Amino acid sequence: MSEAALELRQVTKRFGDVVAVDRVDLAVPRNRVVALVGESGSGKTTTGLMALRLVTPSAGQILLEGEDITALGQKQLKPHRRRMQVVFQDSYASLDPMMTLGEIIAEPLGIHQVGTPAERREQAQGWLEKVGLDGSYANRYPHELSGGQRQRVAVARALILGASVLVADEPTSALDVSVKAQIVNLLQSLQEQMGLSILFISHDLSVVRSLADEVVVMLRGRVVERAPTDRIFAAARHPYTQSLLDAVPVVDPSRRRRRTFLSAEEIAARTPRVRPHELEAPPPVDTAEPQLVALAGSHFVEAIVTERAA
Amino acid sequence: MTGFIVRRALSMLVTFIVVSIVIFLMMHAIPGGPFDGYEMPLPDNIKQRLMATLGLDKPLWEQYLRYMWGVLHFDFGVPYQSPGETVMGLVAHAWLPSLTLGGLGILVGAPIGILLGMAAALRRNSWIDYLASAVATLGLTIPVFIISTGLILVFAVWLHWTPASGWGEPKRWILPILAYGAVPLATYARYARSTMLDALNKPFVTVLRAKGLSEGRIVFQHVLRNAAIPMVTIFPVMFVGIATGSIFVEAMFRVPGLGAYFVSSIDKRDYPLEMALMLLISALYSVSYLIADICYALLNPRIRVDGGSR
Amino acid sequence: MTEIATAAPPLAKPDSVRQRSPLYFAWRRFVSNKGALGAGIVLIVIVLMAIFAPLITTTGPNEQAFLTNALNFPSGAHWFGVDDLGRDFFTRIVYGARVSLGIGFSAAVFSLVVGLPIGALAGYLGGKFDWVVMRVIELFSVVPPLLAALLLATLTRGGVWAIILIAALFGWKDVCLLVRAQVKSFREKEFIMAAQALGASPWHIVWRHLIPNSVSPIIVGFVLAIPLAMMLEASLSFLGIGVQPPTPSWGQMINVGMNFMFFYWHMAVFPTAALAITILAASLLGDGLRDALDPTLKGR
Repeated sequence: MSEAALELRQVTKRFGDVVAVDRVDLAVPRNRVVALVGESGSGKTTTGLMALRLVTPSAGQILLEGEDITALGQKQLKPHRRRMQVVFQDSYASLDPMMTLGEIIAEPLGIHQVGTPAERREQAQGWLEKVGLDGSYANRYPHELSGGQRQRVAVARALILGASVLVADEPTSALDVSVKAQIVNLLQSLQEQMGLSILFISHDLSVVRSLADEVVVMLRGRVVERAPTDRIFAAARHPYTQSLLDAVPVVDPSRRRRRTFLSAEEIAARTPRVRPHELEAPPPVDTAEPQLVALAGSHFVEAIVTERAA
Repeated sequence: MTGFIVRRALSMLVTFIVVSIVIFLMMHAIPGGPFDGYEMPLPDNIKQRLMATLGLDKPLWEQYLRYMWGVLHFDFGVPYQSPGETVMGLVAHAWLPSLTLGGLGILVGAPIGILLGMAAALRRNSWIDYLASAVATLGLTIPVFIISTGLILVFAVWLHWTPASGWGEPKRWILPILAYGAVPLATYARYARSTMLDALNKPFVTVLRAKGLSEGRIVFQHVLRNAAIPMVTIFPVMFVGIATGSIFVEAMFRVPGLGAYFVSSIDKRDYPLEMALMLLISALYSVSYLIADICYALLNPRIRVDGGSR
Repeated sequence: MTEIATAAPPLAKPDSVRQRSPLYFAWRRFVSNKGALGAGIVLIVIVLMAIFAPLITTTGPNEQAFLTNALNFPSGAHWFGVDDLGRDFFTRIVYGARVSLGIGFSAAVFSLVVGLPIGALAGYLGGKFDWVVMRVIELFSVVPPLLAALLLATLTRGGVWAIILIAALFGWKDVCLLVRAQVKSFREKEFIMAAQALGASPWHIVWRHLIPNSVSPIIVGFVLAIPLAMMLEASLSFLGIGVQPPTPSWGQMINVGMNFMFFYWHMAVFPTAALAITILAASLLGDGLRDALDPTLKGR
């Protein structure tokens, strides 16, 4: 496998005594979409912010296209930031209310001193159209737009510098269902056009299914399962992943499933057991504690290895 | 709760000590000593002996510590302007006019202000609402001495209804009481209106209305109780506002109260009296804020229970 | 599973109404507030009178040109009468506006110059700096400003500049608190994070995002500082430790007028009215601006 567009290695974040993110490994291959799912408080947003270096990790490494950017200062980071951008959940809060859309979209060009002001304006205009808004929106203010339209502006701002990696932090969860689909489509088509690699943070598995190539499930700061999208939906092993899947609304009532919410104890009691012969690789540590182990088909799950491998 | 009060009290104490040091230093920075002002300058040796008796030749920090030690025993020293008595004695007979007139001012102003504010809240956008807003704005923005001048001009100079200066026979008290009453009147007119409106807009009032309770019972049994509590909490702070106002009221109406002594003590560079008055007022201020804080903390949860909302 | 529609939506077009900035709506709210609008107009008239004082009046403020007519009541020749030292009282009042407004305005500028950067930094940096700033402000809240100002004025022996600095000393904290609260609430907003993710420098973030978004509290803080300073000046001058004669100050004129008011009412009425009207207009304007710029702050 060639080097990933974005890679996190054993990344940890502690706030005081609380471990928000605990030794997370994650890789977004080039031109792929990796979904990071989990309930609120699972540490997925913090993980995304660490990838962007907006939150400093307590330990671990962050690699952008093979380069270690963990230790870089904000000044040294600046050139790297052109390659990695972000779209946030709250489209209203993520656009400066005192700036016009044209100014907002052109701001990245100004910060990185690309082109003359006239050229920047022209480019911003072009990007408005690329994300499905008429060029005449350039003189409007964010509060005059709908949530979906604002999210389009946020996407344009994120991509105007030609970023190759996009961290999308729940970009659709504040939107209506129909608008949600439009934004997902927009991201999908831009991803194909520009060869983007996307870290898609979400708790909405229906969106994840149509967009992601791989799914990473986080629970209380740890990665508990990681597999290609099809495998997650077909053969999830971890009880928490299964409960997330059960929570997805179903159209066909005959297929409606019980919504089950698991407590921490229940999850602990139902930690998957894996026999050594199922393992694709020997477990990293020889222990009876749950740990992330590799199964066939690039499927990783936090499990207890029952009979210890000799 | 106890922890909160102790923490607040400690922080107040520290603040107060810092303030006392600043005031002490400021007093000593005032150019000219107490014996520079006389028409007939004192001979140097007598001056030095006087300075030594009063402890004015010691280093500053020692003077401060000795002073504060005295203060703890209610010994504020001897006022330079009347060496026959103590500062405490002077304060003891000067506070009577201030407290009488100020207290009566509150007794007159606060109830009228509360009634006005309540009426304004119950009859929004009627003439009484506008009257209440006008009274509140005038009373809170126009300095007390302007109000006093206005009162004298109208009632003493123009209408000849009352004497222009206060103290002595009760007839002379009328104008100073009105002047003192302006601030509580305005404060409560504004505050009562907003707390009443707040209480009236709570969902529990809608519930009571839906239950078919008469408007009168809703207002007097339920809303008033909810609105009264926050009104109590601003009382201490307002009381101290009266103390500041007394300087001007007493200067205008020639009342021999604390405020008048404060002005004359500044004029006469009477450190001990000035210092004592500043400390007393700052202490009053600190304690009032502390009481207001405690009232607020004590009453707030009950408001929530009573109001049944938020 | 919900399936996701694949048809590309057509370009969304705005309706043809002109674009409206957030300030436009603030202006609309302000104009609809008749009281504040009226106060603003009154204040503009007073400011114009102060600026063009030499054009409105014929004599200088300190010229004792009418000694023989001293203490005359208002007449066609002397609209506000003549004062005890034979000066045209209308002239004195108009020039008094210069002093009063000048001090109010200068003190507000100083309050802003000090309060804005400190408030912005305290709000943006948080932590120790914020803690220290808040403790200092707490100190100021324990001392009654008027009493402390009285002491300081005695210490400095009054004078215009001393009054301005004293007013700013007690005015900066209001601006500081307003700006701090605003910056603090915006610091965690996603558009600030988006700018950081773009590699914007702290300077760029403060200048391009935080300060433009703090325009409302800055304007409100500035305008409300003006009447406070004017009040302070008038109070100190009234007690005789503010602006020193012969510089015309309304507070000082009231002080003098008090001694004459039983026989020469004009000596007290005009400066009192001038001061009351100006302070009231400035306060109403400030309140109106606050309500217009930040509807959530209404009613304190």
